[in-house]
Parts: sequence; structure tokens; C-alpha cells
Amino acid sequence: MIRTEKLTRTFGSRIAVEGLTLEAQEGEILGLLGPNGAGKTTTVRMLACLLAPSSGEAWVGGHSVLREPQRVRRLVGILTESPGFYKRLTVERNLRFFAELYGVKEPGPAVQRTLERLGLWDRRKEPVATLSKGLRQRLAIARALVHDPKILFLDEPTAGLDPESARSVRDFIGELASDRRTILLCTHNLAEAEELCKRIAVLRTRLVALDTPAALKSRLFGTRVAVDLAQPRPDLLASLHLPFVGEVSLDGHTLTVAVDDPERDNPKLVRRLVELGAEIRYVQRLERTLEEVYLELMGGSDGAP
Amino acid sequence: MERLRALVRKEWEELFKIKMVIYGSVFLPLLMGGFAGFMVWTARDVPPEAQATLLNTALMYFLILPVMIPSTLAVYSIVGEKEQGTLEPLLATPLSDWELFLGKAVVAVVPALALTWALFGVFLAAVQVMLGQIPSTVLTLPWLLSMFLLAPLLSLFAVLVSMLVSSRTSDPRAAYQFSGLAVVPTLIPLIVYSARFTAVNLFFVVGEGGGLILLNAVLLYIAVRVFQREQVLTRWK
Ligand SMILES: Nc1ncnc2c1ncn2[C@@H]1O[C@H](COP(=O)(O)OP(=O)(O)O)[C@@H](O)[C@H]1O
Ligand SMILES: [Mg+2]
Repeated sequence: MIRTEKLTRTFGSRIAVEGLTLEAQEGEILGLLGPNGAGKTTTVRMLACLLAPSSGEAWVGGHSVLREPQRVRRLVGILTESPGFYKRLTVERNLRFFAELYGVKEPGPAVQRTLERLGLWDRRKEPVATLSKGLRQRLAIARALVHDPKILFLDEPTAGLDPESARSVRDFIGELASDRRTILLCTHNLAEAEELCKRIAVLRTRLVALDTPAALKSRLFGTRVAVDLAQPRPDLLASLHLPFVGEVSLDGHTLTVAVDDPERDNPKLVRRLVELGAEIRYVQRLERTLEEVYLELMGGSDGAP
Repeated sequence: MERLRALVRKEWEELFKIKMVIYGSVFLPLLMGGFAGFMVWTARDVPPEAQATLLNTALMYFLILPVMIPSTLAVYSIVGEKEQGTLEPLLATPLSDWELFLGKAVVAVVPALALTWALFGVFLAAVQVMLGQIPSTVLTLPWLLSMFLLAPLLSLFAVLVSMLVSSRTSDPRAAYQFSGLAVVPTLIPLIVYSARFTAVNLFFVVGEGGGLILLNAVLLYIAVRVFQREQVLTRWK
């Protein structure tokens, strides 16, 4: 549904996005994760035909952003990074205007349906100026949805919202995924990416990694096992000598061991520990948080600062 | 076409809610109409030649209107989008660059001309009533060309200047003042006529019309570039 091929954009001598190649399948929520200035917004703007790529190419819903920008614009809904509205006009009027621009056949019913879905129908007569930030963000989502697009770009949908509003926006995005929409979600919020996205593209000017949250975690660090011992045994650190064991550390009673393949290696590890006279109370699998993965990726990449 | 219409309708609804804009579009025509009416009033009991001179001065008020009204409208309609952060969502729609530009221009030019011409109609009626007839010096070719050629060209000029200036600043007052300055050259005929260097004549009208067509062509060329999506998004301040 969305495909990019060596997509690159520069502003003068500054490279905002470089050689980005990725693909989002139909019905998938693909996360675009990266710190500020990573090029997320620039990528979305290129995909929404707001900015021309400096080089490379992208296809959205099968249409080239270079050759058929008008088709692409009709096809996608976008929640822009700072979603403005005509403050003096009412909620309904704002939405109706955008429905008309998107060429919605019957703007009236479409506007009503969308406002109802986002819980804004009761406020339709109020000028947008009177809405709270959270409600405005909901209206912005309504705007992205009013023409029922198959493809959605959401640029930091929860940035700057209070936790409660952010929660309701996130829940709503989760619901959207079940309508078989393809969604590209930009965020610098790891928990959000992990919660909502099937796959995550980690971006820092260049693509740093692209995988499911789970795979990102294990691919980067392998798996770690925590072995809880009856007594602290610092001597074990030096005497394990197993080929599959990576990093080993001891914190009080807990020995943390990185292994390549836990199902194959754990029995051997346990046997070796018993041989060495360790008394094992528990063995458990340790999950890396996505945050650790992310920081590792960011630290290890040589993208733009 | 549908999109263009949607844009223009939205603009007018929005502009209608801005007091500055409403005052500007009501106050100016009233003021200019008042001046013109006063000229007609003074022209009641004077010899035909003096009468012609007075009425020529009145004509010039009708050339100020199409310059002043659209500046206010154009400035607010562009600065308003920037201020409210609506440009990006707007540009993300299938609205074409050309429709955006045309929409913004139409929004300002159409009411300006409508008001100008309406006021001109009222003026003619007032002349008829107060002078008993419309003097033959009023509905001459230079007069008609002034109203129906110069007025549209002047308002287009004012709109283009205002749109270009507004794309560079987000302060409506600054934009308004600056575009007001740029519009001064178009008031030359007013100065020429009211200083009575020359009467309204065909040569002068056609000369100014030609100059405006040239200026407008240049401005249009620039504006079409300035109104490209990419430019709007990355260069507009
Ligand atoms: N219009 C622009 N002009 C110049 N530089 C820009 C422009 N837009 C973005 N950039 C630069 O491109 C880089 C990526 O920005 P952006 O895409 O906004 O990142 P993100 O959305 O991930 O925070 C940044 O270094 C930013 O300064
Ligand atoms: Mg951004």
C-alpha cells in the first residue's frame, strides 16, 4: 500500500531523509519511530505529496507520488504535525469544508458520521476556538477520516496531549486498524509505537531498523536469562566457560546471562551451574524494554545529530 | 471547480466574522461614496466645465475603492491561514496550487468590484436626482474604461501585491501597511486628476491600463511560483 525506494530529501545542505526504503502492507499500522529531527515529518510530507523528494521514489496505494500527486492526495488522510483549524468557524463547518475539498459526494452525512464517531457531534455548533486541545486533536482525526481514506498518515497524534486525551486518541487509532486501513504512525513515543504498531521502522535520517517490536528486542540483544541463586556466587562469573553465553553479570543473588537460543541453551546452562555447585531457586526469561533497544539503536547509528 | 467554490465560500464566511475586515469593507465605500456625493452636491449650480472637473474628481474615488478593499481581504485571508496553521491541512487536500491561488484572489477581487460598481450605480442615480440628468461628460469612453477596465486591473494589482506581501509576514497589520504602500503608485491618476493637470482622457486611461497589465503579468508570474505547495510549506513565514 505504501512503498518507498531510496527516498531522499535535502533542505539546502541539510539531509532530512536519506535513502529510505520501506513498505507497509495493507491493513498494517507501521510505526515511524525516531527522535525530533529524525525526518519523520519530512517523510510523511513526501508521501502526502506536500514536498517533492530530492531523489528516490514512493508509491502510495499504487500511485507514484512523483507522477500522480493528485490521485495520491485524494486517497490519503493525514493528521499533520500541527493541525490547525479555522477558529472562528464551527466544528461542523470546518469539517464540511475539508469534506468538500476531498470531493466527498454527500458531505452532510459524511460529516455527521465522522463527528459522531469521534464524539464531537454534540459540539458541532461551537467555534473551534472554544475546543480544548484534546478535542481539537479529535477533530483533526475526524478531518483525516472524513473522506474515508484507505491510507492514513498520523504525525505524532498524541504529542502535547494530557494523558487522558492521549489514551483516548490511542484507543481510537487501535480501532481504526481493524477497518483494514493502512496507517503510517509517526511518533517518538516508544510505548505508543509498541502498543499500536505491528512493525516499527526506526528512523534517524536513515532507516536504522525495521521489524516487529518483539523481533527488534530479541534481534538486538538476543535473550537474557535471570538465574536466582540461593547464595551470591561471584566466582561463577569467571568459571562458566560456555560457548553460547554472552554477557554475564551478577547482582546480589541474581545472575543475568545472555544466551543465543534459550530453548537450546538453557538446559546446558543450568547443568553447568549445578556442576559448579550453584543452588538455583528460579530461572526466568528477561525481556529487554523497547526503550533499551531504541537507545541502543540511536547510540549505535551514525545518522545526523 | 467544486473545490474552488468550496474555498471561496469558506473564505467569505470566515472573513465575515472578522470585525476589522467588515469595518474596512463598509467604512471605505461609505467614505468614498460620501466624497463623491459631496462632489455631486457641489456640482449642482456651476457652469458645465466646472461641473465636469468636479465629477472627474468623483470618478477617482471609485478607483481608490478597488485598491483598498481587496488589500484588507487578501491580507486577512492569507495571514489567517498562516496564523491558524491551516495551510498544511489545506495543501494536503486535492486542491490544486492554481485553485488555491485563484480562490484567494477571487475572494478579494469579487467583493471589491461588486462594492465599487454598486457604489458607482448609486453615484449615477445621485447625479440623475441632484443634477436632473447625467451630464454627457460622465458616461464617456474614458469614464467607462476607468470603471470597467482600470478598476478590475487595479484591484488585481492590489490583490497580487497583498498576497505576495502576506506570504512573507504573519503580522496582518504589517502586511496591510506594506501592501498599502505598494499600492501608492496606482493612486497617481488621482493626484493627476485632482491637481487638475489634465481632465480624464483616453490617452491617460489607456496608458495606465497598459502599465497595469504589464505589472500584473509580472506579479502573476511571481505569485504562481510563490503559491506552489512546496514554497508555501517551506518558505512562507
Ligand atoms: N522546511 C524546512 N527547511 C529546512 N529544514 C527543514 C525543513 N523541514 C525540516 N527540516 C529539517 O529536516 C530535518 C528533519 O525534520 P523533520 O522531518 O521535521 O523531523 P521529525 O518530524 O522527525 O522531528 C530536521 O533537521 C529539520 O531541521
Ligand atoms: Mg515531526
